[in-house]
Amino acid sequence: MKSKRWIKKATPFFFISPWIIGFLVFTVGPLLFSLVMSFFDWPIMRTPAFSGIANYVEMFTKDAQFYKSLSITLKYAAIFVPLNMVLALLLAMLITQPVKGVKFFRTIYYIPSVISGVAISIIWKWILNGDYGILNYLLSLIGIEGPNWLVDPAWALFAVILASAFGVGVMMLIFYADIKKIPIALYEAAAIDGASPIKQFFKITLPIITPTILFNLVTSIISAFQQLTLVMLLTGGGPLKSTYFYGMFVYDNAFKHHRLGYASANAWVMFIIILLLTMIVFRSSTAWVYYESEPKAKGGGKK
Amino acid sequence: MKRRIGVIALAVMLITTMLAGCATKTNDTATEKEGSQTEKVKLRFASWDSAEDLDMQQNLVDQFNEEHDNIEVVLEAYGDDFDTKISAGMGSNDAPDIMYMWNYPAYYEGLEPLDAYLEKEGADFKAGYYDALWDYNSMNGEIYGMPVGFTTHCVYYNKDIFDQAGLEYPQKGWTWDDLIATATTITEKADGVKGFSYQLVADPYDFEMFLWSNDTAIADENGVMEGNLNSDQAIYVFEMYQQMQKDGIAIATEKGGSDEMRSGKTGMFIYGSWAINTFKEDNLNFGIVELPSFASSGKDSVSILSSSGISMSKDSKYKDEAWEFIKYWTGEELNKARIEYELPVLNSVVESENIMEDELKAPFYSMLEQSAGYVPTSFVIDDWSRVCDNLELAFERIFNPSTLEDAKTVLDEAVKQ
Repeated sequence: MKSKRWIKKATPFFFISPWIIGFLVFTVGPLLFSLVMSFFDWPIMRTPAFSGIANYVEMFTKDAQFYKSLSITLKYAAIFVPLNMVLALLLAMLITQPVKGVKFFRTIYYIPSVISGVAISIIWKWILNGDYGILNYLLSLIGIEGPNWLVDPAWALFAVILASAFGVGVMMLIFYADIKKIPIALYEAAAIDGASPIKQFFKITLPIITPTILFNLVTSIISAFQQLTLVMLLTGGGPLKSTYFYGMFVYDNAFKHHRLGYASANAWVMFIIILLLTMIVFRSSTAWVYYESEPKAKGGGKK
Repeated sequence: MKRRIGVIALAVMLITTMLAGCATKTNDTATEKEGSQTEKVKLRFASWDSAEDLDMQQNLVDQFNEEHDNIEVVLEAYGDDFDTKISAGMGSNDAPDIMYMWNYPAYYEGLEPLDAYLEKEGADFKAGYYDALWDYNSMNGEIYGMPVGFTTHCVYYNKDIFDQAGLEYPQKGWTWDDLIATATTITEKADGVKGFSYQLVADPYDFEMFLWSNDTAIADENGVMEGNLNSDQAIYVFEMYQQMQKDGIAIATEKGGSDEMRSGKTGMFIYGSWAINTFKEDNLNFGIVELPSFASSGKDSVSILSSSGISMSKDSKYKDEAWEFIKYWTGEELNKARIEYELPVLNSVVESENIMEDELKAPFYSMLEQSAGYVPTSFVIDDWSRVCDNLELAFERIFNPSTLEDAKTVLDEAVKQ
């Protein structure tokens, strides 16, 4: 019967339909709607008026804050992404050591990343307080007079980077899982040939986990550029707008200045920037990422 | 055959679950309660309070619902995200019927003008409220909100610290020179205490009151800042504040300053009536006095009004019922019920409760009287939200202890934006 065949073909779609419909309605739909909004002058209260590319022109030519926020966010990403990856890798290497109680450490290192952004902001606000914070207290024990982290515009960005470090647990776990997969035979062979642990790390571990490094790099870049919660609650964009990240710029344009069209244009520009960066990373990845499943003859991968 | 039926059943189940998840929002407003025969009008009322204040509000709302058979008001607590939620609600034509309101310039286009309703109640109804409050709840000559509560700003001082420094308590009519002298003495005599504290990120809306006290403003009635924000009198005010930090007699606080008062780190600070209850609970020995005036201006000090009003959405389907609730919420009974945390706005309540005898509350009313007739620049400038952002940044440059920039330079720049 024809209907029998149709149902057989349609069955898989039925199964994934809830997710697809949810995706279309809650992700793709609003995404396209915001693209449309970016071509309008859309105040919250009055009626929207079509304005073509006026929003984009204004952003690039008249709005100094756009460039300032972009550069602050770039600076943050440039410092935070490598720092985070190195830290995660370091911790991952630590917890792969067959030391007693390593499971306990594994849990401890992971817990901070589970805490919600709001709680993290409150905790760090107290740690970083210029007068009563424990960070400055600890620094004073070794003779350094800590700056007023959240009031001094020169240090506020570093305060935000410090507070972001709490999220390192997720990347650490991903690295850990990958490192564990490496067959011990490789290390044993290297040890027999006389390679020191550090050499083993650089010649065996690092090349094999490059796919994971690629993954973590991309996700890290994306989340660094989208950083909003921490900065909104910890510094509110201050002091003196020194931590006025791009995310806050978009949020304020939308909900403080009531300019939804302009904010949508901002968001799309950020989307394109992140897209370009990700593409660059992927293109470059053929040079440094080694996939075990790739045949040796193809370009890429260490020889 | 069985398999086909199984697949169809599964498909139907999936689709119904999804639809059930989507449909809840629109159906809520039509739900009836407790099998009452009459069609109940359901109103949504948004409040920005939290904790004990919110509990009290819920009790008052429940009382209204009991007394009115045909109306049911649902209290929605928006808390800190009040502005965002109201914006989103108005933008999607889903604003609550009744809401607390303070930022008329930003939201008045979504609100219903109340002049017609007030006229129906008769002239005495409107006259029962303090005059100065109507200006703060109107836009372009039309009234958009009923005054619910208000506060002006006064100086709180720590009596214990004053005693320690051997100082007399400040009296109404004192000047800024008096305040600076007092702060200097406190800093010298009381250990680890700074005489005065003020906000590092000054709110331009609030700070304008000091400019008013010195015979200037942020902008004139046409919204022009040049010649006002950077006038000599304005620069004097900013430099005076900045000098207090440079002389070490004042702290620039990260938040309002009440934390520093409570921990005894400062002797005086300027604030609205919001701290009275907290300080009483802390058993802080404190007093309140009117703001000091500028000796050279030759006039009394002026304060900004932080007024809260209650408004009606212009898209509400039940405006008359909403008006009933608004009258209830701003009536005598409720002014008395809220007396612990909001200064009453009705003349009659102030009289009957002898507010003017209360030495903690009376100064706020005398400031109210001294502050009639001033319109905040936020009501005059169209894109105030952008201007306010720039001004906040400018003020911070002057007051941030790490920068302490020259006031004249900063203000000259600020008026150009």
